[in-house]
Amino acid sequence: MSRREGSLEDPQADSSISPLPHLEAKIHQTHSLARLLTKYAEQLLQEYVQHQGDPFGLPGFSPPRLPVAGLSAPAPGHAGLPAAERLQLDAGALSALPPLLDVVRRHQAELNPRALRLLRRLEDAARQARALGAAVEAVLAALGAETRGPRPEPAVAAAAAAAAATDAGVFPAKVLGLRVCGLYREWVSRTEGDLGQLVPGGPA
Amino acid sequence: MPAGRPGPAAQSARRPPPPLPLLLLCVLGAPRAESGAHTAVISPQDPTLLIGSSLQATCSVHGDPPGTTAEGLYWTLNGRRLAPELSRVLNASTLALALANLNGSRQQSGDNLVCHARDGSILAGSCLYVGLPPEKPFNISCWSKNMKDLTCRWTPGAHGETFLHTNYSLKYKLRWYGQDNTCEEYHTVGPHSCHIPKDLALFTPYEIWVEATNRLGSARSDVLTLDILDVVTTDPPPDVHVSRVGGLEDQLSVRWVSPPALKDFLFQAKYQIRYRVEDSVDWKVVDDVSNQTSCRLAGLKPGTVYFVQVRCNPFGIYGSKKAGIWSEWSHPTAASTPRSERPGPGGGACEPRGGEPSSGPVRRELKQFLGWLKKHAYCSNLSFRLYDQWRAWMQKTHKTRNQHRTRGSCPRADGARREVLPDKL
Repeated sequence: MSRREGSLEDPQADSSISPLPHLEAKIHQTHSLARLLTKYAEQLLQEYVQHQGDPFGLPGFSPPRLPVAGLSAPAPGHAGLPAAERLQLDAGALSALPPLLDVVRRHQAELNPRALRLLRRLEDAARQARALGAAVEAVLAALGAETRGPRPEPAVAAAAAAAAATDAGVFPAKVLGLRVCGLYREWVSRTEGDLGQLVPGGPA
Repeated sequence: MPAGRPGPAAQSARRPPPPLPLLLLCVLGAPRAESGAHTAVISPQDPTLLIGSSLQATCSVHGDPPGTTAEGLYWTLNGRRLAPELSRVLNASTLALALANLNGSRQQSGDNLVCHARDGSILAGSCLYVGLPPEKPFNISCWSKNMKDLTCRWTPGAHGETFLHTNYSLKYKLRWYGQDNTCEEYHTVGPHSCHIPKDLALFTPYEIWVEATNRLGSARSDVLTLDILDVVTTDPPPDVHVSRVGGLEDQLSVRWVSPPALKDFLFQAKYQIRYRVEDSVDWKVVDDVSNQTSCRLAGLKPGTVYFVQVRCNPFGIYGSKKAGIWSEWSHPTAASTPRSERPGPGGGACEPRGGEPSSGPVRRELKQFLGWLKKHAYCSNLSFRLYDQWRAWMQKTHKTRNQHRTRGSCPRADGARREVLPDKL
């Protein structure tokens, strides 16, 4: 981890290069984006449950939180990890989300073809997750931390699995969509929190 | 295992649910490796049923250790727990459900039938699609904007409520030859509409119909046959100007331009004008504005703001004998009549500008009278212009308008008017 990680003040840096203001601005900008997307993710989740029908929108509805291949929820110990590692996990999750959101959108296009706003939100969410993931990677690079590097494309795994054409049913498809939208909200919110700790004047 | 008794078309109409990626989903109902974990399978999975039909379903539990009991399981439908008397334990691991006289699905994604363990946890789910097959769409109407495209609208059968997602497809073909084509741009002017943007033939009839399809069946409308030229509409007339007529306090002049897209074809076009007082919602319509691009509104209230709109009907385009379709109204244009202390007469009619022959009854008769006067009296210099000047003078000097209300007759000739005026001049 570079000397600059976790702290944006580097008095010994060459002032003629002066990367810190740029880094600060980048972190601030990415944090603002994450905050905005957290709000959108909440709206997406609410829109999603409305269109699936009860009990999806009811308080206390708790389908099994089944694992989704290639993505899990933030671990309980996430907040205790070093900043760079947290951001690396955030970036990893944000890159795994778009193909999953695409799968959910295709299912919803069959189940709720007239729910145009929901379909648009799902499409936007995939695009926004990519954008936020790229921005987080840029922050990591600016901090001198390792980015995730090349790894198996999640979309390939998703496409390969889809080709197996499991006839799992509509209810499981609804539950999957709920899980993916929930994971999207959790990770965007987690990213906002992790970046917030790097923003000058933010919580340590 | 007992299955639901769907309607006759349900089995054939049932579509397989979209495939789910194996790696992405831990399927509700698939056996799990965790010890003590129970899952279940509901049968039938995602059935399609007619409203009023019955359903028999089962929830079969798999678990570790084996032989997991069905005791304590219960059902919910759309989040509401179903009465226990609707369920019965078939065997140690299977709970059955019998529902009768099903209502239409609450949401198009299907009603959520869920099997719960004793502690309320979800073991399995199945989505029910309960509805009606589509009825024949009807009342198809189409129009072409400037002969460039075709937009059609229709009414779904059974007032549209099938409780299932119903897909509507507008089809069209040239009557004498050609293949069936499918419209692709839907919901352009409402939920049941479609727009064909290009590649339309003129002078040859089209056949148009609508096909409705859902999980329970399909229906087709009657075929509408039309020629594009018979259903042409156009843009509202642009550049509508409304102005005062000199000092005349009860008149406004309206001028407009022919819609440019069809300006070379509007020989027989008709126009309509409507106007209203500023703070009124009641429009007055002037209907008899034939192929001209100006008109004078008369009989207006002095000192009043009026909103005016104009629309065009490209009647007779390329020799079409059909009635044509009115354009939208132009944007409202406002103008005010000059002030007067005396109230003006109510009502209005479209009058010609600048002394042109009028189609209105007052000025027609006045024209006849003036013509007679020129021949038989000493008023050789009479004209409409002079008449308008006289009216303006009358309004200024606040003289009574009785002469004006008695249909243009001169006071001296008042008694003799009906005797002397010929039927025709």
